[in-house]
Amino acid sequence: MNDGRLTRRALIAGAGTAALAAPAVAKLAAMDVIDLGLPGGPSLRHVNPPFPGKGAMIVQRIRPPLLEAPIEAFRKGIITHNGWMFVRWNWPFPTEIKAADHRVAVGGAVKKAVSLTLDDVASAGETVSVVAVNQCAGNGRGLSQPRVTGTQWGNGAMGCAKWTGVRLKDVLAKAGVAEGATRVRFAGLDVPLTDGAPQFIKSIPLDIAMRDDVLVAWGMNDEPLPILHGFPLRIVVPGWFSTYWVKMLATIEVLTGEDDSYYVADSYRMPAQPITPDSKGFPTVPITTMPPRAFITSHADGDTVALGRPLVLEGIAMGGDAALERVDLVGKGWEIPCELGPDEGGPYAFRRWTVKLPQVAGDFEEVGVRAKNVNGAVQPAEFVWNPSGYARNVIERITLRAE
Amino acid sequence: MKRIAILSALALLAGCDNDPAVVFEDAGIILPDDPIDLPEGPGRDAVIENCTACHSPSTMLQQPKVSREKWESIVGKMKTLYKAPVDDAAVPAIVDYMVHVQSQPEPGV
Repeated sequence: MNDGRLTRRALIAGAGTAALAAPAVAKLAAMDVIDLGLPGGPSLRHVNPPFPGKGAMIVQRIRPPLLEAPIEAFRKGIITHNGWMFVRWNWPFPTEIKAADHRVAVGGAVKKAVSLTLDDVASAGETVSVVAVNQCAGNGRGLSQPRVTGTQWGNGAMGCAKWTGVRLKDVLAKAGVAEGATRVRFAGLDVPLTDGAPQFIKSIPLDIAMRDDVLVAWGMNDEPLPILHGFPLRIVVPGWFSTYWVKMLATIEVLTGEDDSYYVADSYRMPAQPITPDSKGFPTVPITTMPPRAFITSHADGDTVALGRPLVLEGIAMGGDAALERVDLVGKGWEIPCELGPDEGGPYAFRRWTVKLPQVAGDFEEVGVRAKNVNGAVQPAEFVWNPSGYARNVIERITLRAE
Repeated sequence: MKRIAILSALALLAGCDNDPAVVFEDAGIILPDDPIDLPEGPGRDAVIENCTACHSPSTMLQQPKVSREKWESIVGKMKTLYKAPVDDAAVPAIVDYMVHVQSQPEPGV
């Protein structure tokens, strides 16, 4: 489709940024395999086969697709190109969609159930856009120690895009929310291959559904949602993990009680309190909002830096469910505040950071960046293990060698 | 690189009510082939017959090394929760295969 254009754009992006990035992009294009650095392995991943509309993604699984962005995706700006946004499907999905035939059923605890065309949805209210990070709940799972089973993501199951659509509350108003409503549940066109398996349906509390920035979106970075990202419509819940951002939206169901469906009641849950790997029978809560995270994008683990010279480190950070407040470079027994880039995308977007060190005096052992948001949430220095590898936000560290 | 118009402060942008918000066109995608690429080992046929109809082999091959009991519980979850049509008689062979594959050095993908 437009692979050529994407590749060229990627190369242009590389050429336009710091000298560091250009060789990395070229290297990636020439290579077939990426090492995710997963402790104990298996750690090597192909960057093929190519998927239409996508750049050189780390292919975690071909069917149903699981595609991870390489670190190159985050080296410049705060917006993740559509070709580099991660892809995650639980079940198969249609590969052909006729716009005129698509309907969104709004039902459950509503005054009048309706079946909406795409034009009905688009005209339900004001068109709005929000820039927000879309991050898989299991992003970084493969780095868990002890290791846990599940999709073995590195840290590339995330991206930041400009999402455009209408407010969910305006779509709900087409049916009218009835008395006693508690939650709003979403289903897409992705359905299990097998009879009786749980459909991937997810719900959010009504007060979240009524937020001004929770969208039924059709636009991703000013392009129609690609099929891999949920054409024609997907839910966008800024600040919440993308498990709630249901793709290929086909059903909106207003609930009056708790949601006992599998992917809310039994899966995508975290221990209510920190546990150890030996713990059994602990209470759990659904994963919901994202914690702050920060990443060094200018350097990779094991890179060499020039002894005696100044050093500039750069990267991205996010506040999670609240705006980013600060980022600090942290080593063993020391920390240095980083300078934040401009607030280009609002509280739910990536934001760039940079720090300049006047002189490299020796190796940097286990150096990382620590984000804090305006609610006071801060990345922990020690990894907090959970059995499903959800919501990783320990400070990510690398070692740089001075030569 | 093309600069994308980014919203400031409120992160919300009101569109113009009079413009058509969006024009929806049909969409389609041709997904790449999924070669069933499984290393040799005892029970390989059982895996091909019972597992790969629903998902790529990579889902299994990329897992960290876990115990035989864990693989038994994973296959059990595929059967009871996801209703995978796995032949009961094939389960020991599937588990044998996964334990064998995980005992081998990483094959360079």
